[in-house]
Amino acid sequence: MRKVSLRSSFALIMALLVILGLCIYIIRYINHGEEWALYFDQATSSCTYTLTDRNGVVLAKMGNGEKTYAEDADVRTACYQLVGDYGGNVGTGALSSFTKELSGYNLITGIEAQDDVDLSLTVDSKLNVKAYEALNGRNGAVIVSNYKTGEILCMVSSASIDPNNPPTEIPDGAYINRCISSAFTPGSVFKLVTLTAAIENIDNLYQRSFTCNGSFEVNGLTVTCTGTHGTQTIEQALANSCNCAFGQLALELGADTIAEYAAKLGLTSSHQLDSITTAAGNFDKAEANSASLAWSGIGQYNDLVCPYSMLRLVSAVANGGTVVEPSLLGVSDTESEMLKGSTAAKIASMMSYNVTYHYGESTFPGLKICAKTGTAEVGDGQASHGWFVGFLDDDKHPYAFAVIVEHGGSGLGSAGAIANAVLQAAVND
Amino acid sequence: MSALIVKIISFIAPLFAIIVLIRAVRSMFNGKTQTEIWGYIQTDEKVLRITHWENIIGRTRSADIHLSNPKVSRVHAVLIRTAKAKWRIFDIFSKGGVRVNGDPVGASGYPLNDGDIINLSDVSVRFRDINERQRSEIESRRVVTWKNVHPAVTLLYLSVFQIMILLEHCFTAASENVPEIALGFVLLILLEWFCYFLMRSLRKTGFEVEIIAFFLSTIGLSVIATSVPTEIFRQMIIVFAGVVAFFLLGAWMRDLDRTKTMRIPAAVIAIGLLAVTLVIGDVQNGAKNWIFIGSTSIQPSEFVKVAFIYVGAATLDRLFSTKNLIVFIGFSAVCVMALALMSDFGTALIFFATFLVISFMRSGSIATVALAVSGAGMAGFLMLKIKTHVAKRFAAWGHVWEDVYDTGYQQTHAMSAGAGGGLFGKGAGNGWLKDGFAANTDTVFSLVCEELGLLIAICAVLAVLSLAFFAVRNTAQGRSAYYSIAACATASMFTIQLALNVFGSVDILPFTGVTFPFVSRGGSSVLACWMLLAFIKAGDTRKGASFVVKAPDAKDKEAKA
Ligand SMILES: [Zn+2]
Repeated sequence: MRKVSLRSSFALIMALLVILGLCIYIIRYINHGEEWALYFDQATSSCTYTLTDRNGVVLAKMGNGEKTYAEDADVRTACYQLVGDYGGNVGTGALSSFTKELSGYNLITGIEAQDDVDLSLTVDSKLNVKAYEALNGRNGAVIVSNYKTGEILCMVSSASIDPNNPPTEIPDGAYINRCISSAFTPGSVFKLVTLTAAIENIDNLYQRSFTCNGSFEVNGLTVTCTGTHGTQTIEQALANSCNCAFGQLALELGADTIAEYAAKLGLTSSHQLDSITTAAGNFDKAEANSASLAWSGIGQYNDLVCPYSMLRLVSAVANGGTVVEPSLLGVSDTESEMLKGSTAAKIASMMSYNVTYHYGESTFPGLKICAKTGTAEVGDGQASHGWFVGFLDDDKHPYAFAVIVEHGGSGLGSAGAIANAVLQAAVND
Repeated sequence: MSALIVKIISFIAPLFAIIVLIRAVRSMFNGKTQTEIWGYIQTDEKVLRITHWENIIGRTRSADIHLSNPKVSRVHAVLIRTAKAKWRIFDIFSKGGVRVNGDPVGASGYPLNDGDIINLSDVSVRFRDINERQRSEIESRRVVTWKNVHPAVTLLYLSVFQIMILLEHCFTAASENVPEIALGFVLLILLEWFCYFLMRSLRKTGFEVEIIAFFLSTIGLSVIATSVPTEIFRQMIIVFAGVVAFFLLGAWMRDLDRTKTMRIPAAVIAIGLLAVTLVIGDVQNGAKNWIFIGSTSIQPSEFVKVAFIYVGAATLDRLFSTKNLIVFIGFSAVCVMALALMSDFGTALIFFATFLVISFMRSGSIATVALAVSGAGMAGFLMLKIKTHVAKRFAAWGHVWEDVYDTGYQQTHAMSAGAGGGLFGKGAGNGWLKDGFAANTDTVFSLVCEELGLLIAICAVLAVLSLAFFAVRNTAQGRSAYYSIAACATASMFTIQLALNVFGSVDILPFTGVTFPFVSRGGSSVLACWMLLAFIKAGDTRKGASFVVKAPDAKDKEAKA
């Protein structure tokens, strides 16, 4: 019997192994519990919550077996990619991305199945409606933030749908938030990168003059300009958005330097907008002294930029070189230096000069606007993408913005008009 | 308002679960080990106590009656007390032979009486039996176990816990289901108190394993209430039937001789059941292990588990019999192969692991080799047969998050829901996993985590483990190897099942889809668990604790009459 009894310790060892397994589970639960709990859409399916915009306008409401969106059809459509839907079609939508906040999750109490959770986004749905109207059926993206607090005030992507009455044929890309999930050919807005590199690497930049004869030759290939700008200063070259000037600067700076600045200014990497990962951009280093290198310095060639990255860049320029990380959930508490204060100030003044010298202040009545246009050629005989990025140099209204209209043609005419409409609404609220 | 109440209850309920568990465990392991005394062996130098019904006499350190004389073999003889309080001695592998009062003793044994002289080689000892009066006198000096931890108080805590879980359901369930759920819980509470008073009337004091089983049944009932509320009454009938079966099997096993005679018939019935299943069984979820009789379905392999342990356990004298061993190996092989043919991989694995445990506990010298060889053979067959079934699951193991909508579907959904419950749960009835595929069986651990919280789920795991620790502890005072082996084999079976269920569903082990003892939905499984519990109850030899174990004073009264 003693022998049998001794052998019974085998059962004991098995029981201890189960306890060991339980410890492994508990450790994994502590490390990954949140990730697990929020993985599926069911995570919030038993919750009661209300998602509102910054003014308390209900964007989505779930509870007591009901799932609703905003009352107003225009708000629903203008905020579709921002909010997402209950089917999880928009991966970056708030309903899918902010499950932790909506479900009130924490490790101890798990998902709050019983309490009402209220989550308000920083976005103003009125501005979204305004921006969506201004896009007027064209595909594009509009994103506006407060560069001092990081709050995103407007974020619209078109084409869009009304989640309450989705069309039988969903428009191409309606499930994608172009503001954060797409990267486009930047065109001339990329000149801000080449400019930054030039300011910090070319000592006599301001003493130089740049001559434009409408085009120039590199290794037998022609780089064309949008006009014939004659002799210009760097300020004038930026305002003219002169390809000859910036193409030659790119050749002078070299691909490595421009690539370094594109990365430093956050255009090639992806970012975290709260828990959302944004799209990365692209900058391919072309051969030295090639037309491709010249084109890459003026935002063509293989360059791609996400509107969100552009917003971060102009926010940093506006905010003395320091970027306050944008957020949809409230005033941001993370900031980092993107470029030198002195460089930021120089770029800012040139962006201001752009408007007064070239775009015309009357185009933006009452706004102290600093901006840069972009008209990105996309080939295949299609109309160019129109870009307009910049900020208001206004302590009361410290807003940064990035607007793109796909195949909208001229940046100023398409995107600039939309920026004006939205900013007018934001300032005169 | 109701949400707030559910929330408050969900914060308090784990406390009661913990109290119930701690009280049950304290009661199980309370006090020092105190052996029963059944007789003495007098040598020239000292008097040795006989503390079991079955004893090995020999030179080995693990012998129950340890004689250090080098002329005595390591395992020399086995001394056994038979049902009618008669003693027999058997010669086992001894070099020098055994004689009683000069007569040679063979492997078939020789009767012993008080005062007989036993010669082991040329070592001579005297056997002293004790009569029932002396026995009960010794017995009366043993500790009464429940003095510190009164089972009625524990049961009261358990009842409060049950009422809390019921209240949560009342607030969360659809109103048409509330009466049935309430009835189910009330019946469970009545049943456990009835069992308690029945025990008291039998003057039995041990009630810990029953409390553990009722605690687990409560969680099982909550699982049914949330996932298939219309089945709750049926579930209560099954629990009731399980309790009856527990008492019947326990009462049957009071008589070891009677128990032993039924081993071969039990084996035949078990094999018959498996054969019938193979012929007329239905396939569900890939395993052909169901028999439908009208609208009720039974899973015969669950009942074969009971027979497997019933047949597999053996008394000490039989452990050294080759015939007995061959019967057991043959029986195990047939069971495992039948399950493999049914593609019931999980259950086959449980049988195989239990086979190894029983083998290990019974193994003597030649036996070890034979068992190891047959064990390896069975494992090989198992792997060959189920390879394709298992390969897929093994491939998914550890990578479930890479394929959340196919091979990792059940596990990832279970882990997600389980983590969503936090420590205290969303409240009974408030989860989403309950609507998932096989959530109330395969991934029941996560279902409990989600609705009742991690704390209660851990309590459920520890509750099953406490049965294992209890069974192991009791072997030290076991009367017969049969009871000890049966109890430990049951404990191991529960433990393996628990591990496969819990860790399979959270991707720590490959997913096999076996049941969580007492908790998973499934009539056959719950019924079999209660029957298996009788084996653990039979190992409990504390004074007057287990109804399965005959008290000597009762016998004394019979003798007087
Ligand atoms: Zn030019």
